[in-house]
Amino acid sequence: MYSEKYEIQTEFFEGPLDLLLYLVNKKRMNILDIKVSEITSEYLDYLMNKRGINPSRESDFLMTASTLIYIKSRSLLPAPEIYNEESLEDKLINTLAEYDKIQKITKLLKQMENDEVLLWKREEVSENFETREFDIKEISSFQLAEVFLNLIKKRDKEEFVNIKSRDFSIQKKQEEILEILETKGYLNFSGYIEMLDSTEEFLVAFFSLLDMVKRGIIIALQKRLFDTISVWKNGKYKIAQ
Amino acid sequence: MKEEKEFNIETIEQKTAFIESVLFVSKEPVEPEKIMTFLKCKNIKDFEEILSKLTDMYKDSERGIVLKRSGGGLQLVTKIEMHDLLNDFFKIKKTSTLTIPSLETLSIVSYKQPVTLAEISRLRGVNSVGPVKNLLQKKLIKISGRKRVPGLPALYSTTKEFLLYFGLNDISELPSIEELTEMFEEKEQPSLFKQIQSENG
Repeated sequence: MYSEKYEIQTEFFEGPLDLLLYLVNKKRMNILDIKVSEITSEYLDYLMNKRGINPSRESDFLMTASTLIYIKSRSLLPAPEIYNEESLEDKLINTLAEYDKIQKITKLLKQMENDEVLLWKREEVSENFETREFDIKEISSFQLAEVFLNLIKKRDKEEFVNIKSRDFSIQKKQEEILEILETKGYLNFSGYIEMLDSTEEFLVAFFSLLDMVKRGIIIALQKRLFDTISVWKNGKYKIAQ
Repeated sequence: MKEEKEFNIETIEQKTAFIESVLFVSKEPVEPEKIMTFLKCKNIKDFEEILSKLTDMYKDSERGIVLKRSGGGLQLVTKIEMHDLLNDFFKIKKTSTLTIPSLETLSIVSYKQPVTLAEISRLRGVNSVGPVKNLLQKKLIKISGRKRVPGLPALYSTTKEFLLYFGLNDISELPSIEELTEMFEEKEQPSLFKQIQSENG
């Protein structure tokens, strides 16, 4: 297994399409005109040369192999006269042609990425210096939801069961949150939510926040990725700064 | 709120200097419309003239920066030749960060957007949850809607950050599939392979 590692590096494929494309290119075939028999023997050679088995990768290749065999056997049998559906062979060929395109685009993007790295912009240096100022960015509701899910997972681990018959309304919660913002200026999102007693209240608080973000009453800010999220009254943030 | 002060920016020279100073302090690309409104410049031609003046100025080999259009905005960036020196000076290794799977996924999203995860995985021939998550986190792609099929799967599209990251002004700047085929046609046939090799080794 470990001695094999070096061999894998010289023949590294991600998924069956990658391998198939390589085989097609090696034979300098047109993708739209694949000679299945040649590809199949190439593929068999590849398998022969491989020592050791990586189940997840090999299963991908078995899929390719069975497709190739299927196509082969199909071409040996007399074809039905009317054949409306896209044949399996066409399907594979189309997929492979698409895959080839994607590889080309990928190459282009890689080139562009490398070119872009050579150009320095203002933010780059400050971001990498020790005494950098944090770039505070407004975060999306998508990220807010992610934090929410993490917190709920955390809560699940707690074993205490409290049965309370209190109702929470979004309106009340919003007033409560606004009050905190009024007095404290801002609200630490994770801290606040961890403070709440029940999942129900937690949910109501979260929806209240989302609603207020949507209506533009408050904004959610994060200093950088994975930092805690703080909530500010819209417009107040700049003044506080 | 704001005090309306009369400012006097009349001459082309003053305008050029003003635009340069705006771009100098801005961290992100500045929308040309914003500058135009501020300068009460209504004619795009006049504005473009100033920009080309700036561009010409930076062509001088004594200058270390250039004017770049990125993500629909204007930005000052360093010249390519400065890259190695800057690396040395700031002791920063500025390198590309995206992996091949991520780049493949991005290439599908950029050309087929909006596109679902299932479609991405089908085109790549491997499950692509990982790269998609990674790209979402890097804000290079976003959920732009839901496909109206059973399960309402999320549709992904590229973002403005995507344009900035790859130095594109607009998504339409990406070459068409036909142009791409020509670009890579004769040059290198079975080289996808070599490329991956050299990156691993």
